Amino acid sequence: MLLSLLLCYGAFTALCLSMDRHHAELLGGKPTARRRRLLKLGGWLLLALSLWAAVSSTGWGLGLVEWCAVLMLSALLLVLLMPYRPRLALSMAALSLLVSPVAAFAQY
Amino acid sequence: MKVLPVSYRLAVTSRVLAAVLGGYIVAALASVSLTLWVPMARADAVVTGMMTSFLAYLGAVIWCFACRSAWQAWLGLIVSSLVLAATSGLAYWMGLS
Amino acid sequence: MKEGFRQAMAWLHTWAGLIFGWLLFSIFLTGTLAYFKDEISHWMQPEIPARSVTSEASLNVAQNYLQQHAAGASRWLIDLPDAREPGLSVRWQQTPAKRGERGQFTEKLLDPQTGAEVQGRATTGGEFFYRFHFQLQMPYPWGRWLSTIAAMVMFVALISGIITHKKIFKDFFTFRPRKGQRSWLDGHNAVGVLVLPFHLMITYSSLVIFMSMVMPASILAAYNGDARAFYDEVFPASTTPERADQPAPLASLAPLLEKAREQWSGGRVGRLTVNNPGDANASVVLVRDGADRVVHDFGSAVTFNGVTGQLLGTTPEQSLPRAIAGSFYGLHMGHFAGPVLRWLYFICGLAGTAMIGTGLVIWLGKRQLKHAKSAVMPFELRLVEVLNIASMSGLMVAVAVFFWANRVLPVEMAGRADWEVNGFFIAWGLSLLHAMVRRGRAAWVEQLALAALLFGAVPLLNALTTPFHLGNALAQGDWAMAGFDLTCLGSGVFFAWAAWKMQRSGRAEIVTQVRARPITLEREAN
Repeated sequence: MLLSLLLCYGAFTALCLSMDRHHAELLGGKPTARRRRLLKLGGWLLLALSLWAAVSSTGWGLGLVEWCAVLMLSALLLVLLMPYRPRLALSMAALSLLVSPVAAFAQY
Repeated sequence: MKVLPVSYRLAVTSRVLAAVLGGYIVAALASVSLTLWVPMARADAVVTGMMTSFLAYLGAVIWCFACRSAWQAWLGLIVSSLVLAATSGLAYWMGLS
Repeated sequence: MKEGFRQAMAWLHTWAGLIFGWLLFSIFLTGTLAYFKDEISHWMQPEIPARSVTSEASLNVAQNYLQQHAAGASRWLIDLPDAREPGLSVRWQQTPAKRGERGQFTEKLLDPQTGAEVQGRATTGGEFFYRFHFQLQMPYPWGRWLSTIAAMVMFVALISGIITHKKIFKDFFTFRPRKGQRSWLDGHNAVGVLVLPFHLMITYSSLVIFMSMVMPASILAAYNGDARAFYDEVFPASTTPERADQPAPLASLAPLLEKAREQWSGGRVGRLTVNNPGDANASVVLVRDGADRVVHDFGSAVTFNGVTGQLLGTTPEQSLPRAIAGSFYGLHMGHFAGPVLRWLYFICGLAGTAMIGTGLVIWLGKRQLKHAKSAVMPFELRLVEVLNIASMSGLMVAVAVFFWANRVLPVEMAGRADWEVNGFFIAWGLSLLHAMVRRGRAAWVEQLALAALLFGAVPLLNALTTPFHLGNALAQGDWAMAGFDLTCLGSGVFFAWAAWKMQRSGRAEIVTQVRARPITLEREAN
């Protein structure tokens, strides 16, 4: 579940940054069209990876349940953290993505 | 709070009754109709019918409050009930129960 | 017409949410607590030790006990312990005097290691919250009907809420605190939308769980009114042979566990029923534990002859529709959830509770703004305010009192289990009276402060009344016991913060009102 959670949190942060308003709040200024596209693509890709991470380790039944749980928890965490500690929210996303290869290694 | 006209309150009450009572009847009829028509073993058909009935109930409730008048609400439910009752009756007559 | 549709759905969402919100809040809160009902029961019966013993070992213990104490019974029932329920429960039914009559049941809780009877203090424990959330302390079947009706209203409120939320994707990540009513709405949307999969699942599954009761039309139509035939098909009663009236020794039950597991390709036994122990035609029915997979398989059972160990029968594989129904059931109950997933269930449940609570606060807050100038609130709004306070902070106080009663009432007291429950409802009732006599904000602050005090002091209360306090629990690795104390402490901190915020915003209101008056006086002077 840890790998799935890390990838998911990173995914949501990327998708959040792809929105003009939030990008301005977190990084200052609107994103360029190219950056927006990259963030959106990256975000969805990471979401798909997190689903794969959840299902490949525990099968479809339990895996889907765990993925949904991870989805909801990471979204809640990001949204509630952002207005109070925006830099922490961002650095946690960066950290999650950095640590995910380690988590992947541990899982397989 | 401004005083609402009695006609408005009556219309709301009518829609609520339609949604709660009429909606239940539509849901039950939808459930029976699906159960009798779906090509499954009897117990499985019943389970399928019951599980999906709540979606029909939802549809009926939304209709009752989205349509233009309380009269339309009742009309929509009555028409749906007749259609569903007819399909159930047809299935029964065809010996599909 | 599109604007009209959204507006109509907004109206539906607002009124359905209000009328059933108070009830739904209590259902969601107690249901959320029920995810930890075994841990709560463990805290409320600390005398019963938590042991880890293999299923086979505890089954041997149970069999020995029953052989000694219930050899002549017509039926034995053995509930094996699992990770969350450490008790080994045995029941036996006496042979009825007359045929067709029900024999008397006796139940005992055993220590799975020693086989000795254990007696915890009489309490309903976590089961109270579990049962309340769908029976509402009402006589059968009225409570279930009401809670299922509430579930249907919840479903309507969820869907109408989604339809009404215009910028559901644009505002997905939006939460703007410290902006008054705007923040409350953002919060309501956040806990609503971000946890939507859970809310939809829990609501629809609760409808499916009681669908036979509330939507029986299909059963009656397909089975020509014979509902019994339907239930027999869905829950195939394992056919057990009649008494042979020939004594024969019952074989050891433990090896049957492995045989059953083979039938299920893995999986675990939850309960064993031994029919006619000591008879030649004794039969043993092993029922699968609901916790070993997500999809709940109703009545999945294997039957063996009790003397020879011969396989008598198994229940067939689940069909797809029944597997789907089983999935709804399994997902709702969450039996399969390990510790991490269980905490996630709990958090999601709290989010649902918060969604309802914020909705109720917003409903009142919006309309209160219109009446801010007048000193007296119209009756309807005052009613909503009182019900909001009593159903939310009042309920929290009641839960805390329930736990306090467990430690404060003497262990030997007769009827103490009932009195714990009475304490819950008395506290809830008093909170309603308190909300009626005090001004809104004061009532909130006082009740939240009381909840903070009661919850925060639980670890101290535990230490003063039992030897199973936090220090000991942590030292022994009793995570359920320690977790309970720590969660109560955390809740106490949360309620204290909430009470403080409530009081602060009250003072801010007074300051702005005082500032407003001199300005109007100046204008009059000019």
